[in-house]
Amino acid sequence: FKRDEFRYCNQAPFCKRARSRSPGACTLVPHGISITDGDLTATLLSKNENQIRPLILSLSVYQDGILRLKIDEDYDHPDPPAPKRRFQVPEVILPEFESNKLWLQRLSTETVDGESSPSTVVYLSDGYDAVFRHDPFEIYIRDKKSGNQKLISLNSHQLFDFEQLRVKKEKQEGEDNDNSENNGSDDNWEERFKGHTDTRPYGPQSISFDVSFYNAEFVSGIPEHATSLALKPTRGPGVEKDSEPYRLFNLDVFEYLNESPFGLYGSIPLMISHGKEGRTAGFFWLNAAEMQIDVLGDGWDAESGIELVKQKRIDTFWMSEAGIVDVFFFVGPGPKDVVRQYTSLTGRPSMPQLFSIGYHQCRWNYRDEEDVENVDAKFDEHDIPYDVLWLDIEHTDGKRYFTWDPVLFPNPAEMQKKLAAKGRHMVTIVDPHVKRDDSFRLHKEATEKGYYVKDASGKDFDGWCWPGSSSYPDMYNPEIRSWWSDKFSYDYYVGSTPSLYIWNDMNEPSVFNGPEISMPRDALHLGGIEHRELHNAYGYYFHMATSNGLLKRGGGNDRPFVLSRAFFPGSQRYGSVWTGDNTADWDHLRVSVPMMLTLGLSGISFSGADVGGFFGNPEPELLVRWYQLGAFYPFFRAHAHQDTKRREPWLFGEKNTRLIREAIHVRYMLLPYFYTLFREANTTGLPVMRPLWMEFPSDETTFTNDEAFMVGSSILVQGIYTERAKYASVYLPGKELWYDIRTGASYKGSKTHKLEASEDSVPAFQRAGTIIPRKDRLRRSSTQMVNDPYTLVIALNSSKAAEGELYIDDGKSFEFLQGAYIHRRFVFANGKLTSINLAPSSSSKSQFSSKSIIERIILLGYSPGAKNALIEPGNQKVEIELGPLMLEWGRGSSVVTIRKPAVQVSDDWTIKIL
Amino acid sequence: VVPKSPFIGIPPQDENYYKTSSDTIKCKDGSATFTKSQLNDDFCDCPDGTDEPGTSACPGGQFYCRNAGHAPVFLFSSRVNDGICDCCDGSDEYGGQVKCPNTCWEAGKVARDKLKKKIAMYKEGVVLRNKEAEQAKIAFAKDEAELSKLKNEENILKGVVQQLKELKEQIEKAEEKERLQKEKEEKERKEAEEKANGDKSAVEEEASLEKGHTEREIENEDKEMESKHDEIGLLDDSPADQDVVDEYADHGAEDESGGASKIEGSPVSEVEQHEGQEDKESVSTKIKDGSTHVPETGHDAGNEASHDQPMEEGEDESTDPEGLSKEELGRLVASRWTGNSEKQTEGVSDTKDNDHEDHEDQEEMAQDTHHEEYDGYASETDDETGKYDDVDGGDDIDETYEEEAHDDATTTYKSDFEDEVEFSDTTSPGNPSWLEKIQQTFRSIIQAFKFFQTPVDKSEAARVRKEYDESSAKLSKIQSRISSLTKKLKHDFGTEMEFYSFYDRCFESKQNKYVYKVCPYKQASQSEGHSTTRLGDALNILSILSFTMDINVRDKSKHLICPLIQWRWEKFEDSYRVMVFSNGDKCWNGPDRSMKVRLRCGLSNEVTDVDEPSRCEYVALLSTPALCLEGKLKELENKLESMNKEQPQSHDEL
Repeated sequence: FKRDEFRYCNQAPFCKRARSRSPGACTLVPHGISITDGDLTATLLSKNENQIRPLILSLSVYQDGILRLKIDEDYDHPDPPAPKRRFQVPEVILPEFESNKLWLQRLSTETVDGESSPSTVVYLSDGYDAVFRHDPFEIYIRDKKSGNQKLISLNSHQLFDFEQLRVKKEKQEGEDNDNSENNGSDDNWEERFKGHTDTRPYGPQSISFDVSFYNAEFVSGIPEHATSLALKPTRGPGVEKDSEPYRLFNLDVFEYLNESPFGLYGSIPLMISHGKEGRTAGFFWLNAAEMQIDVLGDGWDAESGIELVKQKRIDTFWMSEAGIVDVFFFVGPGPKDVVRQYTSLTGRPSMPQLFSIGYHQCRWNYRDEEDVENVDAKFDEHDIPYDVLWLDIEHTDGKRYFTWDPVLFPNPAEMQKKLAAKGRHMVTIVDPHVKRDDSFRLHKEATEKGYYVKDASGKDFDGWCWPGSSSYPDMYNPEIRSWWSDKFSYDYYVGSTPSLYIWNDMNEPSVFNGPEISMPRDALHLGGIEHRELHNAYGYYFHMATSNGLLKRGGGNDRPFVLSRAFFPGSQRYGSVWTGDNTADWDHLRVSVPMMLTLGLSGISFSGADVGGFFGNPEPELLVRWYQLGAFYPFFRAHAHQDTKRREPWLFGEKNTRLIREAIHVRYMLLPYFYTLFREANTTGLPVMRPLWMEFPSDETTFTNDEAFMVGSSILVQGIYTERAKYASVYLPGKELWYDIRTGASYKGSKTHKLEASEDSVPAFQRAGTIIPRKDRLRRSSTQMVNDPYTLVIALNSSKAAEGELYIDDGKSFEFLQGAYIHRRFVFANGKLTSINLAPSSSSKSQFSSKSIIERIILLGYSPGAKNALIEPGNQKVEIELGPLMLEWGRGSSVVTIRKPAVQVSDDWTIKIL
Repeated sequence: VVPKSPFIGIPPQDENYYKTSSDTIKCKDGSATFTKSQLNDDFCDCPDGTDEPGTSACPGGQFYCRNAGHAPVFLFSSRVNDGICDCCDGSDEYGGQVKCPNTCWEAGKVARDKLKKKIAMYKEGVVLRNKEAEQAKIAFAKDEAELSKLKNEENILKGVVQQLKELKEQIEKAEEKERLQKEKEEKERKEAEEKANGDKSAVEEEASLEKGHTEREIENEDKEMESKHDEIGLLDDSPADQDVVDEYADHGAEDESGGASKIEGSPVSEVEQHEGQEDKESVSTKIKDGSTHVPETGHDAGNEASHDQPMEEGEDESTDPEGLSKEELGRLVASRWTGNSEKQTEGVSDTKDNDHEDHEDQEEMAQDTHHEEYDGYASETDDETGKYDDVDGGDDIDETYEEEAHDDATTTYKSDFEDEVEFSDTTSPGNPSWLEKIQQTFRSIIQAFKFFQTPVDKSEAARVRKEYDESSAKLSKIQSRISSLTKKLKHDFGTEMEFYSFYDRCFESKQNKYVYKVCPYKQASQSEGHSTTRLGDALNILSILSFTMDINVRDKSKHLICPLIQWRWEKFEDSYRVMVFSNGDKCWNGPDRSMKVRLRCGLSNEVTDVDEPSRCEYVALLSTPALCLEGKLKELENKLESMNKEQPQSHDEL
């Protein structure tokens, strides 16, 4: 990690300046408040006379408690006119979201108790008003049910600031008074960092403001940082003076550190607050420029003279280098509501192919076809399932993507077919940097068409990456994205087959010789948009273009699988992400959990961390623990740096091979449950991997717990993050019992248990009251499991009831959108298990059927004694006996098992215990 | 899916276990029992899979396919009815997902033919191995005999040398005495003559000159002797060193003649050049090892030093990339991921606030820029390609060289580590013992000196000296030979000495651009063939230590990329099936290099494959008759026999 290559806040003029402002500095007040086109609109004018041109404000209200605030320059203002339009990030907000807009009809004006200035109030949703106080201007949401308490507010501390575009002149002294409060105004035009010059042709154009969350115990979100789930304060009493804000700037960071507010590969400016009584609210700023966010510690504003209502509160301060104010407030009230509201705006996670939620084997690099064949064969030899084998950059012909090294991979299609014959898939890497080589047709074409991002002087930007001198297609441009998508056709990507999928790396974008290992901020995209304005979205557009490429390739009926390192709001629609180049140490194993939980809260459900750690050589114990935890990651892939020792699962002795096989097998057993959760994410936005407080929002003990997590609502997993751990301390929330998924042993809820650490697995528990569908048969890959029978594990709650769901479809196509799926709800109550259809009736255009049966039903928390069960319809009796909870760990544990009920998974039926 | 027959998947030897008259059957692990109707009912009742040999119901189970016409096979139960044909008789797929044709007859025939060939090879190999073992025993006995003979000779010679030494000292004493006497006399005479006549001085001068000359000659001879001593001593310490030193010197001289002529020169000179380069490398290796016998050679030594501590340099640079060209910066950053990265980050980042140190860093950086230039994924830019262009022109020559060099089964040859230098005269049998000659001479000398007289007979004195020198030189040689023989005989040559002949042999294999040399009991090495390989390509083919590349790229001659990587012999492993070489050259960001050579039966000694499955961990295959074991042959023959038995008498399936 080379910290000095990256800017500190005080090296970024906008951040330094914004941070030095004091509360109360904002002098803007609204004029002409009215309703226009269903929005509340106003003009913001400064009380002082140093404003270049007015600002236009608009407030819009959307269904489900979403408030949107936009503030931008007045482009109609004649003198001085704005030199260009500021950037608004397109294609993040779903087009259909606009149809959720509530057209405001009326506004009311009132003077809130204790205020000197009047406020304009509009209806937001049931129980909520949006309030616009005039002077000083403030926007907030109040909760009518709690006596009009504030929920969330903007500019309560009057830190709002909006630097307006200017035209660069030869000399600008005199007209620089806007910056008079800024020490060292030289910074404002040209800027140098580590030998790179940023020309900044429009002068400083940053925006900053404060946002307060009320009744909040903590805030969370704003990935990606390698830090705790609950965000620690970055400024205020008790915080080190040189502490950095959380940075959102997509960067390729070599050997990143644990516990750092430092910006990593992706950025999502979404913050979620959570407090007692399970109160949750959310705030999202759609902006793709560099952002810095301070979480302000209690008492930071003690000397400001600003006194807000006495409510437990967390203040935050948001700074962005460019763009506009386009922010969204989400009222919740629960954590699941906020995620639903946010993903109604930015999109639900796409439905992954079934194979892609199996286990992935990756390494930089599987060297050649023989290596691939050997690794594949070894999995079979050791009876370890896996679904995907990955090829990193070395598979290409000289780092030219869409090509194959002719010596190492002379027959790529044949190689893929061999894997496909076992139901396995392959993923190859395709990065955005294009080798500047005139004999490389992709480069030739991109050059001729003028498809590359331009440097400040208008020439094709030339940066250094894996292939050496490289250029970067302007993925912001829809035409170029479409062109890029075409490259994934079987004709163009010679050697690709239908079982090949794609990995997008280095799409921050990473530029080895660029400022902060990325692209210069004054590089130019379509329409003269500066790179600084859309930097954080570059990787998103690239991911989008690739994903659409696979969609095109498959004729629109093959779900794309594209893994991306960079991400932005909306990335969940295009595939999965992973946490980049982590390290093989216990701290990185530990931090992978809060990192993924944060991603899940931010809409990105399909995430993972490199199992084993990318850099360095894990001790076998760490590797095993990583597999045991990674088996519960939504995206489960092992990966390693080329300098590390080989670490395929069978290389660490018989015992470790067994432990890893079992960890992977548990994942495969749970695939039906995972797949059902992915479908839930796809329809509701709810993440697969959830913080405990998402399931137990009022349990304050869970608020700071980011060592454990929920998989869906039924399984709690606790990682083991230390070497030779003898004990694991596990907090189990809620009033119900929890069952060890391996032994069936039960534990009381609302209690911290000190458990003996087993080397066989990390602690994992099924919550009483749930039903989990499993497929227990071990196979080579998920493909061969399709027709295998199911096991239902029923964990009864205190009223001897439980329920759960199972979603099944063909695992690969989009037919499910036409209703081609099976969706069952299993309900156990009064000694009877019922399977209920949740899918639309058979009138749907398309059908999906399954011949799979249920081979075993396990009842946890049911006292033994019953000998038979009766199946309806059919009136058929089946045996009940005592059996193992998991076959591999079967010995000793005896749980009530209904043997071979053999009912069809797709049918309606009941099973009554006699 | 429940199979038609309840006995599917059960091996013949287990049939009785299941076909019991009792109603219940025990799980093999004793954990439970199951009823006969539960056998293969597609529901797992035994955690170990006993009850489901024919279905996929138990994760740990095994499925037996008979594969009549071929060899029977056990499958993991995970393969049963998974839609993939695993057994050649198709018996694992009875669920109807897929139709598996019976291919056992064809596959069996192929397998049997293969097995027959293998057996034939083993038969031949066993003969070779036995012959080898026999010869090894003879050779070993011979070595032992030689050793004891040498020890005997050493004893005698020691005595001779000792006596000669005494005699020599006596002579020298006498001579000294004589000289002093003479001086004295002369002085007296001079004094007298000076008095009488100053003109006769010329004569004396001549006399003294002559004497001085002789003395100098003797001195020179002594020195020569000593230096030879040194060399031999060196040889004792590390047998590989001698020719290295010599050749290195040669090479150094050659080097000055300039590189260009060599490239255009004959293939032979290419070879020399190549070897010279290798040697040069091994010299620097030694410098690293701390051996002090080798003169420091500025360039390489410098490189080696930076090899040891390059991290600081890299670090200094990267902390302040200003001043690097864009390209250099790109390479530098890329290099972090590609193996030239360093872990000492913390130390340097501490200096971030220290302007003074920053300044220093910058200065250092300016010097090191050149170094970094070739790190990582370097060399594919146009101008660099240009640098190699002229070399590419020499392709033909190189190929010729290769053919010549590799034509004659090149994979085996005598070890470089030949330590019995010039011993043919001392060891050749039948030659009437040189020792006797020495003894005779010695006796005659002693005879001559029996009655020792003054003045010393000059010719006799010279003879004594000569004899002394010769004998002590012989003694050193013998001692050196004893030492190397003792060392050799201490090694583990296998259960039947089958590896004895490996001791002074090397096996070579060319894999892509690299030549791998495996010298059992000594070392293994990898070197890049010759000049035409470009850095980038090389990296694609095998991720070789980029730093080693770096050293060579930076060599003035540029086109001579010829890194050498070495591993040291450690031991056999896995009952002589694996040779382990370890403690190889240090790897960037990785462990010391190691190499495992897997041995397998073959009719000739041949390295067939080299691989680097993990960074810096190499695996090679060496086929050799030494591994053609009689036991294994029996095993194969049994296997063939059983395969033949399994054949259906008439294969009506077809």
